[in-house]
Amino acid sequence: MSQEREVSREMQNAFVDGQLDAADWTALVERMGNDEALRRQVCELRTLKDMVKSAYASARPHGTAPAADRRGWARVAGLALVFALAGWLTHDATERIGAAAALRGVAANGLVVHVASSRGEVVNTALEEVEDYLRDARTAGRKVRVEIVANQTGLDILRADKSTYSKRLERLRAMYPNLTYIACHQTADRLREKGVKVTLLPGVHFAPTALDEIVKRMQQGWVYIRA
Amino acid sequence: MRMRGLFGVSAQFRARVEVQREPLYRLAYSWCHDAALSDDLVQETMLRGLGRAAQLRDQAKLKGWLCAILANCLKDHYRSSAPLEPLDDEMPSHAETPEAASVSSQLAARVRAEIDRLPLGQRQVVTLVDLEGFSYAEVGEILAVPIGTVMSRLCRAREALRQRLMEFAAAQNNKIRSIR
Repeated sequence: MSQEREVSREMQNAFVDGQLDAADWTALVERMGNDEALRRQVCELRTLKDMVKSAYASARPHGTAPAADRRGWARVAGLALVFALAGWLTHDATERIGAAAALRGVAANGLVVHVASSRGEVVNTALEEVEDYLRDARTAGRKVRVEIVANQTGLDILRADKSTYSKRLERLRAMYPNLTYIACHQTADRLREKGVKVTLLPGVHFAPTALDEIVKRMQQGWVYIRA
Repeated sequence: MRMRGLFGVSAQFRARVEVQREPLYRLAYSWCHDAALSDDLVQETMLRGLGRAAQLRDQAKLKGWLCAILANCLKDHYRSSAPLEPLDDEMPSHAETPEAASVSSQLAARVRAEIDRLPLGQRQVVTLVDLEGFSYAEVGEILAVPIGTVMSRLCRAREALRQRLMEFAAAQNNKIRSIR
């Protein structure tokens, strides 16, 4: 590092972030000994860094599960396999048949379907697949349970004042008592904080958060599907 | 619907992911300054992390790996809900959130507001470095950008913050001194 050249801002940043190698670090420290302006600039950078850190020190997740629930995460030692289906993909009939066949081969006692969007294609696909799955299971004489867990904008499908799927959900629930609808309490709280009155469809249950409900079911060996 | 894969997740891995909930939230909040969205992004990140556990080759990099997932979740959110924020251009300020308004320290509120004014790319770099102490190389991996980009974004971010905050901070200090 040349004594004559101005120390770049990048170099000053790297210094306060501990990103310089030993030689550059030493050279910059020596330079600061004789350069008051540089000392002041580095000091400002350090101050800024501390200010940013302090500004977010109190930021905590809302609706974090109570400690007892969170400990549950660590209690899942007995969980040998968790099955995850990472997404609903295309509506192609062949794929759907393939998926149904794949699900029949899974020795799970439950299916948790996560709906985090109110977009029509997401919700329609989710409901179609759930209905197919429940019908197939009934035909095959398999006892299964299915939960639709809704959060974010997906909560809209379970809201009495917003849902355009209420009749369809009611019909499904009447046909399949082993189907349950779960709303994310955290999402509902957020809406209420914004002054939105949240009224759920009849028979919809709350879970503290969608994540907690999904993890709880995965611990129990259920299959998780993200819609 | 298609089955993408089966995976086993150990209790230990879940516990390690859970430990990252608060740091992830802090980062998410510093990127979007929306408490509800931050909660959703963190949930989404943790679910994706559990779902992709097998992809994490180096367990020591769990935190950075989750931060990369968080960055992608935010990108996905902007892509699906609104035009993507430019990564490196000046952005208009977002409205201050109720949470920000209730922050006891006026300085902290001001810092958050100024961070919020930064373009997303600069905001992400400065918070990854300052809040979570990632190295420049790690930030480059998390955001999938070259290290030179990390350094230039950081430089621009800090310069903007310096111009906007140092005077304010000095005034606050003077106030404290006069009260004492």
